[in-house]
Amino acid sequence: MLISIFAELLINNRALVVYDGEKVYFPTYGEMIPGRQFGLDYDYETNYRELQLAYQKSDGPEFVILPPVPYDAYEIDLKDGRFPPYPPSFADRHYLGTDVIGRDIIARLVYGFRICMAFSLLLLVMNFTIGITLGCIMGYFGGKFDLLFQRIIEIWSAVPFLYIIMIISSVIIPNLLMLVLISVLFGWMGLTWYVRTTTYKERAREYVLAAKTLGASNSRIIFHHILPNSISLIITFVPFSVAGGISALTALDYLGFGLPAPTPSWGDLLQQGTSNLQAIWIISSIVASLVVVMVSITFIGEAIREGFDPKMHSTFE
Amino acid sequence: MTSYFIRRLLLVIPTFLGITLLVFVITRFVPGGPVDKIISEARMMSQSEGVSAPGGESFETGSPLSEEQIEELKEFYGFDKPVFVSYFEWLKKVLVLDLGISTRYYDPVWEIIRDKMPVSIYYGTISTILVYLVCIPLGILKAIKHKTTIDNTSSVLVLIGYALPGFVVAIVLFVWPAANWNWFPLGGFVSEEFDDLAFIDQVGDVVYHSVLPMIAYMIGSFATMTFLMKNTLMDNLSADYVRTAIAKGLSFRSAVFKHAFRNSIIPLATHFGNNISMFLAGSFLIEKVFNIDGLGLLGFESLVERDYPIVLGVLVITTVLGLLGNILSDFCVALVDPRVRFE
Repeated sequence: MLISIFAELLINNRALVVYDGEKVYFPTYGEMIPGRQFGLDYDYETNYRELQLAYQKSDGPEFVILPPVPYDAYEIDLKDGRFPPYPPSFADRHYLGTDVIGRDIIARLVYGFRICMAFSLLLLVMNFTIGITLGCIMGYFGGKFDLLFQRIIEIWSAVPFLYIIMIISSVIIPNLLMLVLISVLFGWMGLTWYVRTTTYKERAREYVLAAKTLGASNSRIIFHHILPNSISLIITFVPFSVAGGISALTALDYLGFGLPAPTPSWGDLLQQGTSNLQAIWIISSIVASLVVVMVSITFIGEAIREGFDPKMHSTFE
Repeated sequence: MTSYFIRRLLLVIPTFLGITLLVFVITRFVPGGPVDKIISEARMMSQSEGVSAPGGESFETGSPLSEEQIEELKEFYGFDKPVFVSYFEWLKKVLVLDLGISTRYYDPVWEIIRDKMPVSIYYGTISTILVYLVCIPLGILKAIKHKTTIDNTSSVLVLIGYALPGFVVAIVLFVWPAANWNWFPLGGFVSEEFDDLAFIDQVGDVVYHSVLPMIAYMIGSFATMTFLMKNTLMDNLSADYVRTAIAKGLSFRSAVFKHAFRNSIIPLATHFGNNISMFLAGSFLIEKVFNIDGLGLLGFESLVERDYPIVLGVLVITTVLGLLGNILSDFCVALVDPRVRFE
């Protein structure tokens, strides 16, 4: 995860450091530098890979340090006389090969992962905000409000989520925020329901009664007494809902109802992989990364759950 | 108890109405429905025919069909009335099992769905049975051998299966065992020469085709069921009544199977209804990967093609199954646990 935040440093078509004999440039972050700046004959953005070759030929003090994977996720790298997808090759520095239109797979994997994580984390924050607020209110105050929302949740959660999201996203072309909002619209129920039950249980405990007798207000009881007691149970949901977010976005992209076309996404790679079985490197790399990410998230989740689980299983001898 | 289930059954009705109304309204307000589709097809046709398209004035408005033609189309598809009126008309027909006519195939929706049902029922029942057949013994084994090598390795394996979304497992199975190593057929439900085979071979053929999809279907529920079985059994094993049973001289084996095991299958029963309805409705992602002609794929394809009568028809079936599945779960609990009293 940390690696993906600084992905620009590892995987980019802009150079890390350029020294043209007089001045040092750091093109990764900041404005684009036109080619003329480095004595090349064009005004569009410098092709640092060519620049490096040029500098290597002339043996002056100039040098270019490229990222380990010198390709951008959107950049199409076509080779003369061959058709993409290209197999993995160290000479081209496509360590995992390219996809069907010649984009580097590592670049797309990492940038796709970043988008995926952004999606899941946003989804997580929103779902948890709604879930905890509503769940607490429903569980604590009960009554008509509780009953009303119980019915709403019942109906809402029976609506097939993927159907709706597919209908909606076939009409409007969704961006990331839009997708998150739609998913939140259909994803808040599970947690709300859970928080409601825990709050409900906690409310019946003696310490709440004691706090009430001492004259604590409703908000004090909720924020200082009930929430701290139930938060550990809620935390265990975090990793699993991140995993859920990733698989939801991947499924949508796989079906072509997710983010619009040029965006790097795992679902898109999966789709390319299954329709181009001869290009085995596409499907292998995407499946391998999915397995690694999902399995590690689930194992983290299991560890957290076990850590918070107050129940000690006594084994029978 | 009976009154409880009657009440639950009655509660199905408002929920069902809510869901179908919601989806109905959405399909109505989304552009790209059958009328729009015919208009765009007509436009393509008139363009390929050149300038000789009928109605020169309609060209100026950008539509190849005249207003009356569009009105006729809308009337044909029932789009001319207000949403609620047409919803109730649709609902009235549903009550007599008339789900309308597909706007894509022009066949009755009910017949199309009925044709797909056997595939879904086959996968549903077999995978439910298999899940229980594998998970219950595995759960018992893991509970008895808690914290041993067998327990830990099987936990890791089951958790990996749980971590991966079902369709990713399906893709993995599709790419390697099926496509690359040619161990299994590339999707489909039966071979092309299915009708010529003897009965035994037919059975073998179906099994051969369904091994991989079946694994993909089941792998997600393995983890939940196995851990449920293991944890409840362990809770029960550490309970006092099992210790008493052992103390009075019962063998460990019969203490586990006669006392602890019986109490431990109760939570499994709560999942029974859900499992059934989930498997019956199928997963269109897995069906898409393996190209299985089931309900899930039908729903997905008709959604893409904007064949709303089928979308709604599939929705009706899956919703009813899901709601009934919930009630069935409660019923199973009441069946296996005499202590449970629903009020």
